[in-house]
Amino acid sequence: MNVRAQAHAGPILSARGIVNRFGTQVVHDKLNLDVVRGEIIGIAGGSGSGKSVLLKTLIGLRQPDAGEVILNGKPVHAIGAAEKAALIGVLFQQGALFSSLSVAQNIMLPMREHTALAAGEREQIAAMKLALAGLPADSGIKPPSALSGGMVKRAAFARALALDPRILFLDEPTSDLDPVSASGIDALIRSLNQSLGITVVIVTHDLTTLFTICSRIAVLCDRKITVDTADKLRKSEQPGIREFFRGPRAEGAMTARKSSHGN
Amino acid sequence: MLPNAGSLEGKRVASANQSPPTVVVSGDGDRLALAGALEIVTLAEARNSLQKWSKQGSSRSLDVAGLDRLDTPGALFLCGLRDQGVKLTGIRAEHRALLDLICGLDLKPLPKVESVPHWRQLVIQLGKGAHQARHDVIDIITFVGRAASWTVSALIHPECLRPASISRHIAETGMHALPIIGLMAVMIAVVIGYQGVAQLRPYGGEDFTINLVAVSVLREMGVLITAIMVAGRSGSAFTAEIGVMQTREEVDALKVMGIEPMQVLVVPRLIALVITLPLLTFFADMMGLIGGAAISQSLLDVSPLQYLTRVRQAVSGSDLFVGLFKAPVFAFFITIVSCMHGLRVNGSAESVGRETTRAVVKSIFLVIVLDAFFSILFERIGI
Repeated sequence: MNVRAQAHAGPILSARGIVNRFGTQVVHDKLNLDVVRGEIIGIAGGSGSGKSVLLKTLIGLRQPDAGEVILNGKPVHAIGAAEKAALIGVLFQQGALFSSLSVAQNIMLPMREHTALAAGEREQIAAMKLALAGLPADSGIKPPSALSGGMVKRAAFARALALDPRILFLDEPTSDLDPVSASGIDALIRSLNQSLGITVVIVTHDLTTLFTICSRIAVLCDRKITVDTADKLRKSEQPGIREFFRGPRAEGAMTARKSSHGN
Repeated sequence: MLPNAGSLEGKRVASANQSPPTVVVSGDGDRLALAGALEIVTLAEARNSLQKWSKQGSSRSLDVAGLDRLDTPGALFLCGLRDQGVKLTGIRAEHRALLDLICGLDLKPLPKVESVPHWRQLVIQLGKGAHQARHDVIDIITFVGRAASWTVSALIHPECLRPASISRHIAETGMHALPIIGLMAVMIAVVIGYQGVAQLRPYGGEDFTINLVAVSVLREMGVLITAIMVAGRSGSAFTAEIGVMQTREEVDALKVMGIEPMQVLVVPRLIALVITLPLLTFFADMMGLIGGAAISQSLLDVSPLQYLTRVRQAVSGSDLFVGLFKAPVFAFFITIVSCMHGLRVNGSAESVGRETTRAVVKSIFLVIVLDAFFSILFERIGI
């Protein structure tokens, strides 16, 4: 892991006693989660286990019914808008690219709002982010509606990276993608983590992503969270976790992990 | 949607961090050194100070050992310097990977969008507009035909009618619109009444205000106000409902199941509005007459009973009929235009908004054009 990321001690993100409720239905019951600087952590769980709600809570879009989220040493709701923009980048599930702007304008929007860079410099940086995300330069002038599913994810990646955030939140980065694009996104996440030292939090139920690139996995199960490495979670005897990590799909994903780690 | 970036930039940068990161340039013109944080917020500062220093002499070497923090735009900047022949010395190990990554990217400038001269844009827009108008006319005619044939077939085979759907639309387009349409009708009658009294008083004919209000409300204003209100209220709802179904592929799902979208989406709305609009018009007519009664009482001292007698003398059954006759025709075209635009939505959120606007504008336009046409027609045949 990168030295730049390790320069500051302590977890970059720390959630304490998170409770989320919808009416009488409790989704999260006093969850604790620490994210270490520079790691890739996966948040997994079946459909309806509250993964997306947890993500919204972590990035401060949702006020939990109890508990607190500390991001980079500060409560997440107390962080100012500009500071937050420089601190976190979010890749939304559908990309959430603004349809009225071109891809490059989407990437330049946070720079335009939060930095004093000249237009020419912004364009240069946007072209660099596009290349980082693995998109050709001519995709920059296209509207988001002209991109394929995989390209939308990459463009959304480029926008999430616009201000070089310290921590990147990815909501289902590989869902709706063909296997080739999904592997490409996995490789992209790993290379960004290694070269830029960005901490990555991935919310996904893609077992291949969880097993191949995440250093730790947090499993949401029965309103609680269990955080461990993939190997230890596979040995867990807790029914929900065992179902999740020992099906035929999990075996396939483990094979992928072995082959990718072998390379 | 975008705020003016220029006026906000300075303030935002200052508030980005409690202790804003800084970059320091030092050296003797030939050998320069960078220290501090070379990040997106300090990039402009670094560029300016480097330019200042390099004016005093040509610097061929830059020491970056003092950099604590480096991000991707900073690395891009250093790569740019390196490409210009500046030698970077003392690169820290942790920055080397980042520099190698960024310098190794195959960077091409963003292609420029070709700008078209103003006059050519006008010509292009004119052409596009004409093309669009032609398509619109063809589409409306086709749609009218299809909708009519599906409606007739639904009426011939009543088991294909969807009573639940029809009654829901009647409730939404009719019942829920009653308060606003009643209020508008009263207001219009008041407006006409005031103008009538003011204009007719010099000739001593202010009593004819009652004729003016009653005839104009029954023949024109009642139905026109109702149709415009319904076009804005229910027409836009039709377009948005069908448009969102289109974006979520619900319309395609219907087609795959062998259910004709026309039959389940358009026909119930059409039947519902054709039933509702005449009823709403009648309600608006009555409310307009009540408004007229109120204005007669307050401006002309005509009691409601006297007012009723005057109205009975002033209007004939044909006045009421003329107004009510137009309502189903308007309803038909409002539904056709709204549903057609709903089905034209192509997937993006933007197009739902665009088609809704077009549907409302077009249906109000059609309502007024048809109303003018009917005025001439009824004048000619002498009703």
